Amino acid sequence: MSDVRKIVLAEDNSTLSLLLKFRLEKEGYNLLIAADGKQAIELIEQHDPELILTDIMMPFISGLEVISHVRNKLNKQTPIIVFSAAGQEEMVLKAFNLGANDFMGKPFSPNELVIRVKRLLR
Amino acid sequence: MEIYQNLIEYFENTPTIIQVVWIMSCVFFASIVILTIYLKFLRSHLRKNEMTVAEYQKEYESDLIAYLYSGNEEEEISTEQQIIIDKLKNCSADKFKRRIIVSTLLRLRNEISGEMAESIQKLYFQTKLVDYALARLKSKKWHIIATAIRELRQLQVKEVYDEVIAFVIHPKKEIQKEVQLYLVTLFNFKGLEFLNIIETPLSEWNQIQLLEVLQRFDDQELPEITPWLRSTNDSVVIFALKLAKIYNQFEVKDTLLELLSHQNKNIRIDAINVLAQLQVIEAKNILKSKFNDLSKEEQYAFLKLLENLYEISDEAFLLENIINEDFEIKFATLKILKTLRC
Repeated sequence: MSDVRKIVLAEDNSTLSLLLKFRLEKEGYNLLIAADGKQAIELIEQHDPELILTDIMMPFISGLEVISHVRNKLNKQTPIIVFSAAGQEEMVLKAFNLGANDFMGKPFSPNELVIRVKRLLR
Repeated sequence: MEIYQNLIEYFENTPTIIQVVWIMSCVFFASIVILTIYLKFLRSHLRKNEMTVAEYQKEYESDLIAYLYSGNEEEEISTEQQIIIDKLKNCSADKFKRRIIVSTLLRLRNEISGEMAESIQKLYFQTKLVDYALARLKSKKWHIIATAIRELRQLQVKEVYDEVIAFVIHPKKEIQKEVQLYLVTLFNFKGLEFLNIIETPLSEWNQIQLLEVLQRFDDQELPEITPWLRSTNDSVVIFALKLAKIYNQFEVKDTLLELLSHQNKNIRIDAINVLAQLQVIEAKNILKSKFNDLSKEEQYAFLKLLENLYEISDEAFLLENIINEDFEIKFATLKILKTLRC
């Protein structure tokens, strides 16, 4: 069994996903990338990660639905950080109501994300 | 051979109208066949193109991430970074590849901030992509110029201010819009200086976009807006009124009071709304004294203003208007009167 902590990242921007994969793997985490909400749910169910990073707007299944699935269907308390773009303030509130733990507005600093990830996984 | 002969005979013996129908049917059938083949070809070409774009994108994404993580503190540009810069510089010579490289840079630039965002901008300069964007500014086609300005804005290239500002009074609205967004996005409120020179109307959508960009900044200190409130361009005045309302510009109240006599009715109405928000009591007296000369819309706006600024001395005016033939005025007057007497 590997001790590496698993994180699922649901993000449809492949360049950003790749950047975060490099950054978080450098910190010792194992990043599992999903290009949409549907893939994210599959990865979460398969790997039971310790943290979930999700964008709000994604193809097929939105970030809000991912949060709802984790909290209400899987009944898991896995920490969730939500990424949101400018103008999605209402969505962020909905995300918090559904059970998200933290949010980061885009554009964000990858270094700041690492700090928040470390804080939630402490 | 015999069948063919019979067909020709049959065709020759049929009436003209039937011949025409046969010819048209053959033409349509041939067109459908040709179009089907063409569509199949086009589809496979597009798919191939899409796959090529995805392949290059993946390659450039990896290059970009490698560039961002291969820097070190000793050198300004590390050896690994220089290799990537040279590679991307060579690829940029090809228009197709250049477009993919720029879109890859933008995809990441729009999502991240801090040191890495600055590094992406640095890479844009190091690979000379900025020179291609500048060359596009010299194009005769307006859409090429507009996309070049947009690219420079998205990559936050402040250094080309002089080249971009030259298009601020371009006859094409799309170019003007891109220039305005460039100025405001990169230079914040200082970028609004274009309001002093534009002569063409600033569309409602454009105003919304500019306000949206301005609200993103931490520094919310608005410059002097009086010259814009006095502009001869009515759309600039309307935009300045929006600024006065959003940023509570009480210090321009005298200019706002002057606008109550502006020749444009929409400006007068907007001015009343701003004065209502700023609770300028002088506006009430001016408007009350000429209430009957105001248009219906101005009267409604004034009564909205009065809802917040009424005083006991207004009772006579209100009583006078409870018999107004306009229902909305009558209703608004009664509403204020009720609040006044409670």
